[in-house]
Amino acid sequence: VSAASAPALSSQLIVAMATAPHTWLRLVPSCRSYSKATRLHKIDYPWKDEPKPHWVRQFEARRVDADLTPENRDWLRQWRLQRVRDAVASSSEAAAAASPLKEPPAARPLWTPRVSQRCGLVGIKLGILPMWYRNGQKVHTTVVQIPDQRVLRWVPPEDLGNYASLREMRPYRLNQSLLPRWLTQQRWGLQLVGAVPADPANFTAQWCGIFKAAGLPPMRKISRFLVSPDAALQPGACLGLHHFRVGDCVDVVARTVNRGFQGVMERHLMEGGPAAHGSTKFHRKMGSAAGGGGPIYRGKRMPGVMGNRFRAARSLPVLRVNTKHRLLFIKGFTPGPPHSYCQIMDSWMLDVRRSLDANPPPMPTYFAEDAPEGGYPEDVYHPDLLPYDQPLELPD
Amino acid sequence: HPARDATSAISSSWQLRPVPGLQVPLRLPSDRRPPVRRFACPASIAAASAAASPAVPPGPPLAPAGIARVYKPRLSPEAMKEFWRLSGIGPDHSRAKAADQQAEVPPEIKRLYQEALPPIVSQDYRDPIVESLHRAEMMRRRRVINIPEFHVGSILAVSVMDKHAPNKVNRFVGLCILRRHTGLFTTFTLRNMVDQVCVQIEYELYSPSIVSIQLLKLERRLDDNLLYLMDAPHSHCTIPFDMVPEPYSRNDPVPVNRERVRLNPPPWMCKWHLHGYQGIDLEHLYSYLSDKDVAKAIEFSKAYKRYDLLDQYLNRVPVPDADYAFKDIFIQHQELLQHQQQQQQQSSKKSEVISKLTGTV
Repeated sequence: VSAASAPALSSQLIVAMATAPHTWLRLVPSCRSYSKATRLHKIDYPWKDEPKPHWVRQFEARRVDADLTPENRDWLRQWRLQRVRDAVASSSEAAAAASPLKEPPAARPLWTPRVSQRCGLVGIKLGILPMWYRNGQKVHTTVVQIPDQRVLRWVPPEDLGNYASLREMRPYRLNQSLLPRWLTQQRWGLQLVGAVPADPANFTAQWCGIFKAAGLPPMRKISRFLVSPDAALQPGACLGLHHFRVGDCVDVVARTVNRGFQGVMERHLMEGGPAAHGSTKFHRKMGSAAGGGGPIYRGKRMPGVMGNRFRAARSLPVLRVNTKHRLLFIKGFTPGPPHSYCQIMDSWMLDVRRSLDANPPPMPTYFAEDAPEGGYPEDVYHPDLLPYDQPLELPD
Repeated sequence: HPARDATSAISSSWQLRPVPGLQVPLRLPSDRRPPVRRFACPASIAAASAAASPAVPPGPPLAPAGIARVYKPRLSPEAMKEFWRLSGIGPDHSRAKAADQQAEVPPEIKRLYQEALPPIVSQDYRDPIVESLHRAEMMRRRRVINIPEFHVGSILAVSVMDKHAPNKVNRFVGLCILRRHTGLFTTFTLRNMVDQVCVQIEYELYSPSIVSIQLLKLERRLDDNLLYLMDAPHSHCTIPFDMVPEPYSRNDPVPVNRERVRLNPPPWMCKWHLHGYQGIDLEHLYSYLSDKDVAKAIEFSKAYKRYDLLDQYLNRVPVPDADYAFKDIFIQHQELLQHQQQQQQQSSKKSEVISKLTGTV
């Protein structure tokens, strides 16, 4: 959300912002000493005095237009979907390759060791498929579909402090005393990526307006990636399946499965109490919450909603790429249930980053000119992987 | 820089340390908070609320509704279908049309490809693309190895690659007591006696380390699994390793072995009387049980389940999904037969060429 669409700020606040733009990015409670006990009653909740966060509402309630006949309603829907299809097709990499008027991308940046960090992809986790290596070992692969996605916006590192969605504090930041390093170091900027174009009637005008600036149809999902300035992409750029190659190690970040309200034994693996031997109503309880009648500190493990948190599965190799259904087969298991969104990016593990220096990936992303002669086959396998239509040959 | 001066004056341990060499904008402590923005409540509402509620000391601050906002990161089935329709990808559309036009599938397909059925799981965990991938890979594997039709109660001989074996191949003969999971996860368990020791081996049906699966006897039993043979006399699962395969015809119905097994006296590994097995001699079984156990067995027989529509719905594959899966498999089955015919023709041509070159007939 740009600064222009934020609510009107009082004059005093504007003056404060002008003098020190980051002073009011307050993330720390107001207590002086930082022991956990004193935090109890000196906590300054961020929502106490300030206005509510200004988020853009995404989904719009379905309107029942009584003036339209059902046939006209269907025709209008088909017309809207066709416009979305045309917008997606006109901005795809195939169109860019075919159009003689479009200029080729400017000098593509080189992969710089210890500096370059590419954009990632938004994926939809579909399920699990088992496969076998050529030595007979079994491996489970997560099938992730890469939907249509386009770059929405680039926020350079200098503007991170002014970025509206970072000005509002998240509740989990109450336990943190320091700001995250990606915000303070300003090494990487934010690349906004939109995925899964859909019928504009599903969304509010505000949500559609976010995409209008980039000339894109509205999409269901907006993700952001930490990207180094040399790998920044222009709004409207197409991100495709071949951004990752077979053999690349990726990190997959997604929200874990929501397990609902769970007790402490399930959620925090506490021991509970004995099942028998005279135990009176103490089988699955927490027990004591503090010591010596003292205060319960913030962050005490208690029952609550389990799961539904962002977690990352690190350094998973891509074993297979299917170009027909736009699938990535990633080794191992990723967080989240089927049909959930996930972020896929070049792994941040140091050994993977060093290995990329020797075999740099397409920078800043895959373009049509990177395609091999004759195009890609339907299935591209990792050399260690055994396709099902080949017999296993073990060495003697 | 004003921020740096303020920072150097304050010596709290939680202050951000400036990174040398980079222009890092520092965050000042909260004693320089911006002025608070207060909203004036309309007088009418203030009066009404004061009249309605008595004077209460202010309690702990409440979180705004946005904090408890439900985040739904998953795409609904309708959203997935719209996405596939818009982008033109998804389940194999060309094969789907052919499958829809398919009238009916011959019964031998349902016998051969029992594992092609989608799993009985909540709809949230099922995906048509993944299921079609499973079916396609199953048929690709069947081009390499012949997987015969077999049921629980049939006798199989399985050869697997084993680098420690003398011939690099390990052959095991046994009675199939269990067959579970679907798709590429399908497994089956063989049971036999080896040197007076009961051995059960679970094989993955589509593992590439399986060299061959040979059907020695095609038979069905009265139950879905024969786990109760663990508490039965060993004679029921003693199969000679040099057993000669019995011929069978695909057109004939699968013969059913209605034998009723007499279990050994208790203690048993499992409460066999509670699972509704028809292949156990029940009179003999109940003779070992007390009245209380028999009553529990009757209670577990779950005669009321025939009236539980939701249980029937949740524990079965939906009929349209099963039909679509078998139709899809049937199309690929016909392609497999063509592929096998082509291979036979090629091998016969090769043998002709070799005989001509070597001068043999």
